[in-house]
Amino acid sequence: MSEKKMIYLQPVPVRIWHWINAFGIITLIVSGAQIRFPEYLTLLGSYRSAIQIHNAAGVIVAVSFSFWFFYYKMVKNTLDKLYIPNQEDLQHGLVRQLLFYCFWYFLGKPSPFHATPNEKFNPMQKSAYLAVMFVLMPLVGLTGILLMNVTPLRVLILMSGGIKIIDTTHFLLACSLLAFLCTHVYLATLGSTPLAYIRPMVFGWEEVEDHHEETHQEEASASKYRPVRHYPEYQGVRSEQSDS
Amino acid sequence: MKVATKHRIFRLLMTVTLAAALCTTAAAQEWDGYSFGDQTGKNEACLSCHGNAQTVKGASLINRTQFAHTTHALIGCQACHDAVSQSHPDGGRTSRVDCQQCHVDISAEYALSIHAGKAPCAGCHNPHKVETPKEISGQEINQICSGCHDKYQMTAKHGEWLPQAELHLYMLPCITCHTGSKNYFISMYIVKNKDNSRLGRLEVASYDELKKAAGGESILSLIDTNRDNYVSIAELRDFNKNPDHKFLRLQGMMTPETVTHRFEILDNRRNCTFCHASGTAAMQTSVIALPEENGTFRRVAVEKGAVLDALYGTPDFYLMGSTKNSYLNGIGLAVICGGLILPVGHGSLRFLTRKNRKAKEHKS
Repeated sequence: MSEKKMIYLQPVPVRIWHWINAFGIITLIVSGAQIRFPEYLTLLGSYRSAIQIHNAAGVIVAVSFSFWFFYYKMVKNTLDKLYIPNQEDLQHGLVRQLLFYCFWYFLGKPSPFHATPNEKFNPMQKSAYLAVMFVLMPLVGLTGILLMNVTPLRVLILMSGGIKIIDTTHFLLACSLLAFLCTHVYLATLGSTPLAYIRPMVFGWEEVEDHHEETHQEEASASKYRPVRHYPEYQGVRSEQSDS
Repeated sequence: MKVATKHRIFRLLMTVTLAAALCTTAAAQEWDGYSFGDQTGKNEACLSCHGNAQTVKGASLINRTQFAHTTHALIGCQACHDAVSQSHPDGGRTSRVDCQQCHVDISAEYALSIHAGKAPCAGCHNPHKVETPKEISGQEINQICSGCHDKYQMTAKHGEWLPQAELHLYMLPCITCHTGSKNYFISMYIVKNKDNSRLGRLEVASYDELKKAAGGESILSLIDTNRDNYVSIAELRDFNKNPDHKFLRLQGMMTPETVTHRFEILDNRRNCTFCHASGTAAMQTSVIALPEENGTFRRVAVEKGAVLDALYGTPDFYLMGSTKNSYLNGIGLAVICGGLILPVGHGSLRFLTRKNRKAKEHKS
């Protein structure tokens, strides 16, 4: 048996950061596309306004990224725990979550992962965010800063291989972020309802099922090795399969 | 006879003489560089002193070679300095003609410009060293402007609206935006890293440096490797990638073919796509200016087409919106499509299996 309960998942600073980041990145993608393809795109008016909007959005996202890092690392001190996959995640969690997305989800089974304020991301999210927040975002920001200051930072640009390398890196990273954005938005609709995962990022609260104590005990012992088929979430599926 | 009538007759005579001289020399011989023909002995009386650094110093010293390449050398010293006293040099100021006596239209145009009254013709042009935009690098053109316009003030002023103002002022002649012209071309010249350091600032390579790099042969042979006196875009690209002279490379500036003297602030230049767009007509024509031993430049025509593609191979050059690599665009598109696989593929299966999830909801 389980009951519905509300948990406070996303504090106000995180939500503010998330939406600044979201609108900032969308603005960067649109303005960046116009900067690269001025012959075809004029969504933001003149080329100059596209550059100015791109630069302004870039600075806002870079500052917001710094606040995010400062908040999780210095204020909440949960950056490592939230974003770096642990041994259990790597050994079983990734496979379990992948099986859910590729198989169990289509059979109507619930997600094997339940977000809590101290464990917000499933193993796949952790791995993806680790790459995005610790590699893609810093690199796209740094190359953007170099491209914004070509003359003053000329030596740094040459030491990095020249402006062509910097521009190529910036462009490909931006394409990767757009690819991630498509996946991110889609996966955000995979909750019990399409808005179930999006609502907490607006209001802070998420509705979750409160499981029995037995379930808690089983989850507590989940750090030991168990084949995926033995996870409690899928016991029902096995019995259904044997019934049929 | 009235003074005005005298002036008119004088101008007419000068124009006819100049036109006749130009037609004769053009028909008689092939134009070499920007030489306008033979003026042997015409100016010798003056240049015997004014062309000799031992005799005359400062602004009165005239570079014989550079002067010989000007149209002014054709009409002779006395056409402009018509009242040299018998006692010359006597310390007095030598008479000089008003430029507008010949350059009527330009003077009238200049009188309407924001420069009028602030700088005389000689403020920008040395009449003994006349050069057109094709005969001078953009950096040298800007040096003339910076005689009055402070570089830092101009950078700050342009920076009020122009992104990367310092870079634009370094990579473009001021006259590209501040004078009207129907046609533009890419003026290319060879630059080198200062002190042969990879991180050294780029400066125009001198004749001696290029001659040394060419192993004593013609400087053009550095680029025109098949020696057919024609520079193709492929040869430009090869030159930029040649590891034998890795500190040399081509640099290009968009330059007006002809210039007006209004020096207006052209609003359409604030439209960045004037340059920052691929395939603009202004980027299809180019010349290379190679330094000569006598201090002048030799112009060599380049194959028409996307010359900026050749410059794109250099680590210092990237023109946003114009120099795009189509392979890179393809890779970028593939990455974005990769991101759509999950929403499209998973989304389709999700739609097809929606009954399974509804059944579970009812069950619970």
